[in-house]
Amino acid sequence: MRRFAVLVALVALAPFVVRYPTLETQILTFGLLAVAFNVLLGEMGFLSFGQATFNGVGAYAAARVLIDLHAPLLLALGAGIAAGALVAAAIGALAITGRGVYGVMLTFAFNEMAYYLAFQWRDVTGGDNGLRGIPRPDVFGISLDDATRYYFFTAIVVLLAFAFVLRLIDSPFGAVLRAIRENEERARAIGFRVRRFKIAAFAISGGLSGLAGALYAGLFRFVPLQSIDLDTSTNIVVATLLGGTGSPYGPLLGAAVFTILSNALSHVWSHWPLLFGVVFCIVVLFFRGGLWSIPGLWNRRASHA
Amino acid sequence: MLRTHSLTKRFGAHVAVDAVDIEVRDGTLHAIIGPNGAGKTTLFNLLSGEQRPTSGTIEFLGQEVTRLDVTARSHRGMGRSYQRTNVFPKLTVFENVRLAAQSRTRLSFALFASASANGALAERTARALEDVGLLAHAAQPAHELAGGDQRLLELAITLATDPVLLLLDEPSQGLSPEDARRLIDRIAALAARYTIVLIEHNMPLVMGLAGEITVMNFGRVIAHGTPAAIRADANVRSAYLGTRG
Repeated sequence: MRRFAVLVALVALAPFVVRYPTLETQILTFGLLAVAFNVLLGEMGFLSFGQATFNGVGAYAAARVLIDLHAPLLLALGAGIAAGALVAAAIGALAITGRGVYGVMLTFAFNEMAYYLAFQWRDVTGGDNGLRGIPRPDVFGISLDDATRYYFFTAIVVLLAFAFVLRLIDSPFGAVLRAIRENEERARAIGFRVRRFKIAAFAISGGLSGLAGALYAGLFRFVPLQSIDLDTSTNIVVATLLGGTGSPYGPLLGAAVFTILSNALSHVWSHWPLLFGVVFCIVVLFFRGGLWSIPGLWNRRASHA
Repeated sequence: MLRTHSLTKRFGAHVAVDAVDIEVRDGTLHAIIGPNGAGKTTLFNLLSGEQRPTSGTIEFLGQEVTRLDVTARSHRGMGRSYQRTNVFPKLTVFENVRLAAQSRTRLSFALFASASANGALAERTARALEDVGLLAHAAQPAHELAGGDQRLLELAITLATDPVLLLLDEPSQGLSPEDARRLIDRIAALAARYTIVLIEHNMPLVMGLAGEITVMNFGRVIAHGTPAAIRADANVRSAYLGTRG
């Protein structure tokens, strides 16, 4: 609860301290993607290498609803959630039939299929030109035209989603996901229909990813083809491992560091991913719990001394 | 309570369980003994639903359950423990058992409820831990428990699913004599409340505990009866001594 309060304060103050509301909004949407991904990896123990699929599907769905139906923004977010959840449930139901690395490869393969579908289906997605001309309607009569205002709108939505994930982890449902991660056979033997829980976890992760995609579409009033490509899926995995999978705060931190570094470094040096790779290797090799675990390691060392 | 009819499991040419008929009566502690490779664990896997028989049937509480999977049989009231310790290693002892208790509720798809704040679940969990004497270790991660305590945790998980029948697969395997003794005392106490089927290697221990004994060898039942009758049985002697009586 205290950590969440600190997070809220940080998110509320950020645009006053550093005036890059667009970048800060991007941190939030990307952070939500990493948190959603970690519901599968950190809680259930499933590495989904195709999370951009759900992000992209949510972004396209929200954009279509805004363009074609002139729907209110909140409805568009709902469309993003629904589209992400449905697609994730379907893909999840197939991916979990593959054991171990084969399941990972299936999410990867579906991501590739989704990408080519988006690439070809120009009428709906705009193909490689991206989908342009997305309106950003007022919410409850409040104009969100200004970047800072849109930042605060995104902040409220993402913090609510984050609070939902915190709640989920403490719920009986969250406990079953951890049981599946720890010992799937035993979970089955004590009476859990493991398959149902896995599909539900996919739907939740996909819904949150779709929401992130929808917020992103509203941010740039544009959906680039990149929002559904494998690079984005990889970035989600990297940012999450960087931050740590042991707590939902880890992926959020990882996403923030990743977004800031990639923005800062790409201005200085076009080969920045090389440098980032080094940072990533150091964290994965020496801080297995990710950046989020470092203060804890410090405490433990101090208490041993 | 539990009855098999001509239960058979083949693996290729090998017949692991060969036309076994056993009947476990309500309230008894029924031990299954036999040399290594006699088919005891395979029989258990068939009873609990982990494996499907090649032929034959299983009846539990008057209904046929041959085609039900392990999850469905768990909900019918079969609780199984495993030969190899089979817990949720990184979760706490309490969370291990609470999960089992939770599986009997409708809570598991509640996304907004709190598992840790649920009084009824906590109570059920504490009772199962009390039954095996592990309440003091509730906050410890399961993988940090000593070997004997892990077997007790295994038993507590099974108890928390509210079974009517306990299937215990060599619970004392790999334990020190003192730990084995402690576990057997717990099982003896549980025998007053549950029907139990027990696979066990330790003969003296079985003789003191069981009401009925079934002896298997080469996948078949070679003897069945009270401990006294089994002790006197020539077939059993030859199976264990490796001579032809």
